[in-house]
Amino acid sequence: MSASSITVVKVRDVLLVAMPSDPDDSVITALQEQAMRSMDQHEAKALILDISAVETLDSFFARTISETAQMVSLMGGRTIIAGMRPAVAVTATQLGLPLKRVETALTVERALDMVSLGKRQGSAR
Amino acid sequence: MTVRAKPRRPSGSAQHNPGPKGDDLLQVLVENVRDYAIVLLDPDGKVLSWSPAAQRLKGWATDEIIGQSFARFYPEEDIQRGKPQNELKAAGQDGRFEDEGWRVRKDGTRFWANVVITALRDNNGKLRAFGKVTRDLSERKEAEDKIKKQAQEILEMATIPVVQVWEGIVLVPLIGTLDSARTQQLMERLLQHVTDSGSPVAVIDITGVPAIDTQTAQHLIETVSAVRLLGAEVVLTGVRPVIAQTLVHLGVDLSSVATRSSLAAGLRTAMEMLSLAIVPKADKP
Repeated sequence: MSASSITVVKVRDVLLVAMPSDPDDSVITALQEQAMRSMDQHEAKALILDISAVETLDSFFARTISETAQMVSLMGGRTIIAGMRPAVAVTATQLGLPLKRVETALTVERALDMVSLGKRQGSAR
Repeated sequence: MTVRAKPRRPSGSAQHNPGPKGDDLLQVLVENVRDYAIVLLDPDGKVLSWSPAAQRLKGWATDEIIGQSFARFYPEEDIQRGKPQNELKAAGQDGRFEDEGWRVRKDGTRFWANVVITALRDNNGKLRAFGKVTRDLSERKEAEDKIKKQAQEILEMATIPVVQVWEGIVLVPLIGTLDSARTQQLMERLLQHVTDSGSPVAVIDITGVPAIDTQTAQHLIETVSAVRLLGAEVVLTGVRPVIAQTLVHLGVDLSSVATRSSLAAGLRTAMEMLSLAIVPKADKP
């Protein structure tokens, strides 16, 4: 997969990224780069990662999301991951994967609601 | 009858010979007892005679079965494993053998039987015959199986119920001790339900949990973390004083979880999280 397989969509003041089902390391690295570039360009309020297709969440992916969230936070935005699958949540909890500064939402729609209402909910530990 | 149960008694003991009258009554008993099928086998396991109850239970006519091997009372697979002969051997060695298992009737139907085989020896200790007493326990067995099945069903059903109490709110009332297996099940079912129903709030009620230890608390915290990863919130309710004391003494930190003492308070908190409120009807007189 090439880096271009990640598309960051800007909807009003929100950046939206849909993750593929089995992202490899290069995709994950590209995610961070593109997300940061878009944050800089658009001064977005939030970055929403749709991970409803993702079947496995490894420590590299988790760490990158966490790092990206910290960077986004430094740039004045918030990061919300939406639609995590139950099996992924179980594994993530049992492995104790680091997901600092990341907020969670059941669906992308709810993530958008959270941004528009300015509400904080479901922060992952 | 010339044979008696339990050999190796000092000869000359009179207690075994209650007189003709007693013997007659014993014969009447054997013929009339309905609940036990009594069969007399020769040392090789061939049927010498049997009681009317045995005929009723097993279905063969008396002259059909006399001289036949008692293996005919056993299911095919038992015969192949040599079970009938092994039972006779065991009875011959120990004087007595008891078994509970399937036996067959003449028409091939099965019944669950309790069987006691007793070796009958004469005064010199020579094996003369075997007495076989069979009781049909099919009804008891059926009832037992039914109870077992129901208990299993109740256990499976009641282990972790996940209830949708309101739009957007799921409730898990936990009853009984929480071990690792149950917590794992709780986590999986709760996460699945939260995802399927798209409920942003999960209420876990621990009123029915008798005691809590470090491990259980850890399991609960894990469940809460997993639910949060999905994007939902957790309210822990039913924290009784004794549980609260234990948690504090164990040094378990549940400060990251919204906890309430009663389920009612928990539901109110859950509603608040969804910006809902229950208000009295305005038009009430």
